[in-house]
Amino acid sequence: MPIRLRKYFRGWLAKRIPQAKQVTLNHRNLFILPSKAGVAYLVLLVVLWLVATNYENNLIFAITFLLTALFVTGIHHTHAGLSGITLSAGKSSPAFCGEPCGFDIVLRHNGKQRRDGIQLFFRQGETAHVSLPEGELQRIVGVRLKSRHRGWFDPGRLTIESVYPLGLFRVWSHIKLDTQALVYPRPMEGEAISRTGPSTGNGRLNAMTGSEDFIGLDRYRSGQSLRHVAWKHYAREQGFLTKYYADFQDQNLWLDWDSLPGRDREARLSMLCGQLLALAEQQFSYGLRLPGIVIQPGQGDAHRDKLLKALALFEGAFVAGQGSNAA
Amino acid sequence: MQPDWQIPRYGLAWLLIAYVGAIIPHMAHLPIWLIVTTIAALVWRIQIYRSTWRYPNAREKLLLLLLLTGGLLIHYGRFSGLDPMVALLVSAFTMKLLEMHRKRDVYVVVLLSYFVSAITCLYFQTIPAAIYVLFALIPVTAALIALHQSHGIAFAAPLRHATIVLLQSIPLMLILFLIMPRLGSLWAVPQQNRAVTGISDTMSPGDFTRLGRSAKTAFRVTFDGPLPARRQLYWRGLTLTQFDGRSWWQGGWQSVQMQGKPAQPWDQLIEREGQPLAYRITMEPSHARWLFALSTPLPLSEGIGLTRDFNLRSARKIFSKQHYSVTSWLKHKLESGELALEVKRAALQLPEGFNPQTRAIARKWRSESATAEQLIERVLTLFNREYFYTLQPPLLGRHSVDEFLWQSKRGFCEHFAGSFVFFMRAAGVPARVVAGYQGGEIHPDQGYLTVRQYDAHAWAEVWLLERGWVRVDPTFAVAPQRIESSTLDALNEDEGFLSDSPLALVRYRNIDWLNRLRLQVEALDYAWAKWVLSYEQVQQQTLLSLLGKINPLRIGLLLLAGAIVGLLPWLIMAWLRNRREDRDELDRLYLKFCGRMARAGLPRQIGEAPSTYATRAAEAFPDAAKTLKLIARYYQVGRYRGDKVSSRQVKVLLRQLNNL
Repeated sequence: MPIRLRKYFRGWLAKRIPQAKQVTLNHRNLFILPSKAGVAYLVLLVVLWLVATNYENNLIFAITFLLTALFVTGIHHTHAGLSGITLSAGKSSPAFCGEPCGFDIVLRHNGKQRRDGIQLFFRQGETAHVSLPEGELQRIVGVRLKSRHRGWFDPGRLTIESVYPLGLFRVWSHIKLDTQALVYPRPMEGEAISRTGPSTGNGRLNAMTGSEDFIGLDRYRSGQSLRHVAWKHYAREQGFLTKYYADFQDQNLWLDWDSLPGRDREARLSMLCGQLLALAEQQFSYGLRLPGIVIQPGQGDAHRDKLLKALALFEGAFVAGQGSNAA
Repeated sequence: MQPDWQIPRYGLAWLLIAYVGAIIPHMAHLPIWLIVTTIAALVWRIQIYRSTWRYPNAREKLLLLLLLTGGLLIHYGRFSGLDPMVALLVSAFTMKLLEMHRKRDVYVVVLLSYFVSAITCLYFQTIPAAIYVLFALIPVTAALIALHQSHGIAFAAPLRHATIVLLQSIPLMLILFLIMPRLGSLWAVPQQNRAVTGISDTMSPGDFTRLGRSAKTAFRVTFDGPLPARRQLYWRGLTLTQFDGRSWWQGGWQSVQMQGKPAQPWDQLIEREGQPLAYRITMEPSHARWLFALSTPLPLSEGIGLTRDFNLRSARKIFSKQHYSVTSWLKHKLESGELALEVKRAALQLPEGFNPQTRAIARKWRSESATAEQLIERVLTLFNREYFYTLQPPLLGRHSVDEFLWQSKRGFCEHFAGSFVFFMRAAGVPARVVAGYQGGEIHPDQGYLTVRQYDAHAWAEVWLLERGWVRVDPTFAVAPQRIESSTLDALNEDEGFLSDSPLALVRYRNIDWLNRLRLQVEALDYAWAKWVLSYEQVQQQTLLSLLGKINPLRIGLLLLAGAIVGLLPWLIMAWLRNRREDRDELDRLYLKFCGRMARAGLPRQIGEAPSTYATRAAEAFPDAAKTLKLIARYYQVGRYRGDKVSSRQVKVLLRQLNNL
């Protein structure tokens, strides 16, 4: 499709099915066209009609017309399969950039009829298959889409489609729900953490020797035990460094933007993210320092998520929409 | 389409049922080895599903393809013709079933099932066959539905669903059937070439005897007025002028005067007298072009012409039941006064070296008779005295006429007609054999006439100077009851009669209830033939009477009207559903209120609560303030607090709103 046409189509769609908290599917926002199988079926009808005409056989005419009527009835049934469903956005689960986010979609209907063969997907995302049994009024479906950028991630239009029951027609809608997911920076691990250790700052972080957990390296200061000198780094002429180990009682570690100079913003954030995850796993108490943002050290999942969110939304993040209902 | 797509279990099961249902009626005309192959493929397919066997690989598929096409080629010797084409289709169907594993293949098999089921009707057009095909469509549709259903649905659920969907399709189908114009054959298509019982264009000894064994219907006739006398019901079909000593066949009279074309010269040879007799005939498929009518006919339907020997001829062979309308003048003169030279020569032609005895006697009798009429009278008297009418005549040798006339003296109508014409020609009187049917059974309730194969009859026509071609039926002289009551009465005791139709209900017409049942079934069959199988003729007449001359504009308008009528049920259903959805009066009231206000230039703002809106509205329209506020209040109470609101109150408010 030429870009101009696609743009025009998007504009038209935005007007026809505007973004909303919830969308009820009806004849205004559903589209229906024959599927590939439907087109093949039409060819069958034409062939049967030709046979009936050439053989002047009224019974074959009758069958042809019955199958034609079936086709028409199929429009109605396929359309009814989606019509009346109300969709709204549920929770969305955050993800690290490049991984799939999960968007919960809530489907509600009057439960009077069974609905089957419903497919939900975002453009380029995974397809979720749903059926709504009779009497079940609500169902929550997770639809996954690979995140593409840090910050608030808007999955775009959700396609809901169905070919049920005959497969001859495809009914679909592209709806825009108020939903977005938080996308954290892609965590970078490995060497990064060992080369830059946590900053000791104002001497707050100091009991780094003796315990098992390796945190990072720092410049050797006189008086420190030679046991922890990183001899390998010294041999590689990377300076005289000491390996730091942390106990988990009283260490306050800082994830510090300034400790990672000479890299671009996203790389820094990715490294901080990686460090953060490593620390969170090891139950340290840790804080975050970003330009203009300081989060005091803390522990626990909520604290971790707070820091991750800060990383996600740090300057340059993708902030579209209000981002009200994301976790 | 997912690469790892699997045919749903029940989808496959229904597909196999549909497949079997589609194939069964074709077993009658498929070679037996193809049926065996089909069953083998079915078993293979089931085993693939059970993971016992695997899909055929490319080499096996190629081998199977070669075997099937080779088999068909050997069996039929060609691929043109209906039977080989159907066999080819069934083979393709079978192959596709075996290799089906993608969703697309499944669709192909489903569509083929529909097609194979539908073309059953090329072979069978009876009511039971139609019902069978209708039912065969259900599992096909069920297979289609089962393909799209999620797991965990009952096995029978798709069947129920399919039945519902098909039932819902029937109204539209009926409308389409009634109004869609039938264009008539667009191009010549292969037909099944199977021998059909009926009169052929040659007459050899034994031909009519064979027809006497069959109780199949040849055609049915509905008269516009009263039926003519039974002895006048000579349904003329063919004249046979050429004789080679054994068989009679048609001369060069095939040239046809088609209706609508400028009248052919031979139309002037007919002198029509008295009242015309109008009737409609429904022909059973005869796989031949000749049609039957009372002499002398004038065809009224399209595609039927009058031949030089005054018979009706269809433009195409009759492969399906066909209606035609005819007007006949029972009183007429054909070619009186003068007989064209080539006609006369043909009507006197006799092969040399056959039946010398008859020739001699004919010449002798001619010289003893003053007129041709006297001669005819003498021969008929001879028949009447000494001859027997039987379905089991003795076999005749080389001089068949001599042997029959002077030795065996036992024969069926063909013997009498053939030898009579031979005798006349030998005596110098132009004569020819006429083949057709005589009589028929009148349905006591419906009043139409059923003519059966055992009514097949041969008689003679002689040419007399003053009277032209005159019908002479030598059988009448031998067995007058054959003509005056029925073939049944004339031959009932005869062993050969109906021997091909041992279960023909006609045999038991003396059992009263059975006879009544038979007549009812026949009436139903006739109605089926008239209103369904030959519907286009009814349709055409109705269209003609409704629209006058047919032109594209009128057809278009009719289709449009039909489409509207066809869509009507849907529109009504949609309207009813909308009403049901709007049944919540409270919503309706509030929406109406919003609509009224918006039209008055005071649209509701997004997110504005009913009470706020009503206050704003009340300020703008102080006169209606009370009603407006009340509406909002009711709406809030009913909607948000969930209290039950009196429907009478809502109605009152609605009325007040309307009156504002």
